[in-house]
Amino acid sequence: MKKLSLILTAIFFTLFALSSSGWCWGKKKIIKIGINAPITGDIPKVGENTKNTAKMWLEDIEKAGGIEIAGKKYPVELVIEDNEAQAESAVKVNTKMITEDEVITVIGPQSSKQAIPAGGVADSYATPMISPWSTNPDTTKDRPYVFRGCFLDPFQGPMLANFVKEEFGFTKAAVLYDVASDYPKGLAEYFKQAWEKNNGEGSVVSYESFTTKDADFSSQLTKIINSGAEVLFVPQYYNEVALIVKQARELGWKKPILGSDSWGSSETITLCGSDCYGAFFSTHYASAGAEGITKEFIDRYKKKYSYVPDDVCALTWDSLKLAQKAIEALVEFSGDIKKDRENVKKNLAEIANFEGVTGNMSFTPDGDPVKCAIIVKISDAGEFRFYKSVCP
Amino acid sequence: MEYFLQNFINALQWGSFYALIALGYSMVYSILMLFNFAHGDIFMSGAYIGFCIASLFIFLFGGVGAPGWLVMILTIIVSMFLTSFIGVLIEKIGYRPLRNAPRASAAITGLMIGIILETSNIAIFGTKRIAFPPLVETVTYNIAGIFITNKKIIIVAISLFLMAGLHFFIEKTKWGMAMRAMSYDFFIVPLMGVSLNVIAPLTFAIGSALAAAAGILYGLAYPVLDPYMGILLGWKAFVAAILGGRGSILGAALAGFLLGFIEIFTAMIFPSTLRDLIAYSIILIILTIRPHGFFGKAHSSSLRL
Amino acid sequence: MQPRYFATFYLNYKNMKRIIGFKKILGFFSAMPALGWLFGFFSAVIIEYLIGNNIAWLLGLPKIPVLFGFLIMLKKPLLIPGALAYIIIVYLLPLTLTARFFSGKINKLAAKLYKLPPPVYTVFYLIFLYIIIDIWAGMSDYRIVTLKLTFIAIILTLSLNVINGYMGEFSCSHTGFMALGAYFASTVTLILFTNDKLFGEALLPSYLAPFLFPIALIIGGIAAALGSLLVAIPSFRTRGDYLAIISLAFMFIVKSLIENLEVLGGARGMGGQHPLANLPTVFIWTILSIWIINNFVTSIIGKATNAVRDNETAANAMTINTRRTKIVTFMFAAFWAGVAGGLFAHVLCYVNPGTFGIKKLAEIFTMVYFGGLNSIVGSIIGAVAFNLASEALRPLELFKWIIIPVIMILIMIYRPTGLVAFKEFDIKKILAPKGDK
Repeated sequence: MKKLSLILTAIFFTLFALSSSGWCWGKKKIIKIGINAPITGDIPKVGENTKNTAKMWLEDIEKAGGIEIAGKKYPVELVIEDNEAQAESAVKVNTKMITEDEVITVIGPQSSKQAIPAGGVADSYATPMISPWSTNPDTTKDRPYVFRGCFLDPFQGPMLANFVKEEFGFTKAAVLYDVASDYPKGLAEYFKQAWEKNNGEGSVVSYESFTTKDADFSSQLTKIINSGAEVLFVPQYYNEVALIVKQARELGWKKPILGSDSWGSSETITLCGSDCYGAFFSTHYASAGAEGITKEFIDRYKKKYSYVPDDVCALTWDSLKLAQKAIEALVEFSGDIKKDRENVKKNLAEIANFEGVTGNMSFTPDGDPVKCAIIVKISDAGEFRFYKSVCP
Repeated sequence: MEYFLQNFINALQWGSFYALIALGYSMVYSILMLFNFAHGDIFMSGAYIGFCIASLFIFLFGGVGAPGWLVMILTIIVSMFLTSFIGVLIEKIGYRPLRNAPRASAAITGLMIGIILETSNIAIFGTKRIAFPPLVETVTYNIAGIFITNKKIIIVAISLFLMAGLHFFIEKTKWGMAMRAMSYDFFIVPLMGVSLNVIAPLTFAIGSALAAAAGILYGLAYPVLDPYMGILLGWKAFVAAILGGRGSILGAALAGFLLGFIEIFTAMIFPSTLRDLIAYSIILIILTIRPHGFFGKAHSSSLRL
Repeated sequence: MQPRYFATFYLNYKNMKRIIGFKKILGFFSAMPALGWLFGFFSAVIIEYLIGNNIAWLLGLPKIPVLFGFLIMLKKPLLIPGALAYIIIVYLLPLTLTARFFSGKINKLAAKLYKLPPPVYTVFYLIFLYIIIDIWAGMSDYRIVTLKLTFIAIILTLSLNVINGYMGEFSCSHTGFMALGAYFASTVTLILFTNDKLFGEALLPSYLAPFLFPIALIIGGIAAALGSLLVAIPSFRTRGDYLAIISLAFMFIVKSLIENLEVLGGARGMGGQHPLANLPTVFIWTILSIWIINNFVTSIIGKATNAVRDNETAANAMTINTRRTKIVTFMFAAFWAGVAGGLFAHVLCYVNPGTFGIKKLAEIFTMVYFGGLNSIVGSIIGAVAFNLASEALRPLELFKWIIIPVIMILIMIYRPTGLVAFKEFDIKKILAPKGDK
């Protein structure tokens, strides 16, 4: 008994001495960047993609020896925290990263449900935050410190409506969306608005919905098919897209199907197969036939993690690069975290024509990016082929 | 009329999933009086096991050129067998130690086992969603404007077959009789030489096997598997199982079909945004009028949690 | 737990006590009254406030370990000894010293206080407790957020315990009540105090907001209570399993209703609330809820709920109006769930119908059944333990969701009704002085 406690005490003190040596090297200036990702919870895939992308970015930085500010290189540390895809956890995590870990900027959370309350936290602590994926206008509205990496529903919805009108001249459309999820819902609404402005009242002949996690859409699709619509708009995530498109084909739908940027994942084709061939969707980049840094990014990612990155990866990458650019533009890294955050925010707002994986972008005063969208057609080989580019 | 018939067929397919899962719920619920909240996740595990088995069979028999339906039948049988072990294991770990505890505690254990199943699933298969292999080539028949696929026929037929088989088992065999006896009283029946430690695992095994069958059929109809697919379906099947009434296993199947019909037809008649609202209001009203489900007997004092 | 298991455990525990000599080391803790604990923590908090940073620096920690070092332990295992040493120095040492040397004096003080009327000394204790919490939380905003959400979890757990524990129903509608409360309270504060795209200009200047916030919360609570009638009325004729799905259906209905109400923002949620739920507000509401719920369950109607749980027919025969009991209990519990929802909405400054789903329900169930049925202390322990564990295990990511269920299953197997079930909560006993014979 005595021996055991002696050994335990010895171990304790050795470890203690080891850890205490921390204060010899502990007070080095480190740039900390927080990643607020849904690693567990409803959307673990999004969290994993965010984490993977962030790690790839960190690798780059480490290879370069850190981020260079005013001619001096500083090491970077990522603080990756799990928000469990829950609003309250996202708030806790953001508070923790900002007040405890003293990150200079936060990347994430991804979906609006977490990004809106977390954005409130970031704004109240005057810490710049970039949400790569949140499309809800409330995320950045009246919040000077909150930015986002993707384009907004009010741009994407009308753009798709106009595209169909110019390209095909259809006048009757049907929409099928998830009423319990804010991204599809917002997009569906803006699409409907724009379509009815183009083609007159009642030209969206069928406007149907379901609830998250539903798998059977046959009733809604039967309604849509019977309504005589000429095109079906499905602003859904890729797992639902596969089910909807397959069921639509089984119920006899042969007309075009239109999607949104959430289709832009290699899994769309893996899950959906040949049923999705010939469909159009808007996105940030076309992975087949991509050029320049986009291609480079896709190839690297694919090599490292052995799957083609989706829009979450690309947007997170761009957000990280934006943050990096803003930090690099600092006049000096003072170590006074408040001052640095303020300057980073100022730099972020001033970024113009940033060349990202998802296209060139600048920020509006609200913190929303202005960038072009691409219409992609899924070819008969299952590749995303560039079809058309639309700029605001 | 076409429109109605088309939706009728849609509802038949959707309802058969609820029915199959509700049957498994109802087995445990009627015989052992437990809420098996892990059932939705057993269904999910069944689907994943089915995916593994199907991939294995396709890999083995792909070269030989075995017909798809044979692979499908084999997959269903093997996965049902394997998944029933999960059921037995859950009974042993989660429910047997709690036999004398309040029933609500067992319900909580079930909930926790469900979370463990989901998490370990992510740990094994990763966060990626998985495409279930199309075992049977989809053929669409157009009969007077109604679209029916061969898959729909297969799904409804297999689930009806399983239900009939279960009914036969419960009503005609010795084991079935033991189960029915157990549902009357599981304090006295063990004294008659029927061991609860045999009947309870058997009940769980059969329930889980049915869930596995449902999982594979689900994979055929909706070929995207994700680790959380069992949660909502499980809770809804739970509604169906209890709606059917305690002590009535086929009542659960009927209630499952009814739930499917309510969901599909409310979406057909009303704006589909209001589907959940109306469908669950209907269930609330049904239960207010018939407080013991469709086929349940009124014995409220024994229903304490 | 079966008696024989209990006996073995108890014996082992006793043996352990003798072998390690717990009694010798920790004996003097048993003579310490509640006031002593408060004094101990007070001194700990003061020490942390004054020199916490220096101690942390000396121990090689980057900052003071906010949640007792849980957060850094799992991320940087090398810092574990430092964090442990910090806890020993800052928390355990003052506590032990207070217990060792000041027990007698504090006991005398506590005895003096105890002679005052109970409301007076209870308020004194609460103020003292709040001062400690405020200083402790004031050192880091992360502590404040965690504490606020923990307090809200306490209210939720207590109110569900009233239905599930005291009345013995299995109600799955609690997140529905919470959603109703959150939405109604937010609507009131948004209409009155925020320039908002949903409801237009603010009607009142925002400096009035903190004063009218309780009214908004009460409106939220009342809305939830009225909503609960939808569950309570069918409960006249049925119970147990059927009531479980009635309440589940109710939860789906509320969620779907909010998703369809464009006025409330639908699935997009409702944001822009003022951060009105600050720490004192949440603290006061939590204390209020504990006090009132405790009074409720010890009142005649509270005893009636127990009777309804144990045997409804017999209760009826004993002239208990079971219908009235059920309605009142449901409305009462739903009221507090609504208040908790309102506070929750004003902590996050955003509500979304997706938040109030099955996942949240499972969380509340876990807290109730972990802590213990039919017990106020149990609920508090359940809520605090779950929230702390949830924060502490966060760095484990996926494995957190294996560890928490496993713990829960073990608790259910060895203590099927929860850790501290069927305990009366008597504030006088807790605050009584100890040791003097």
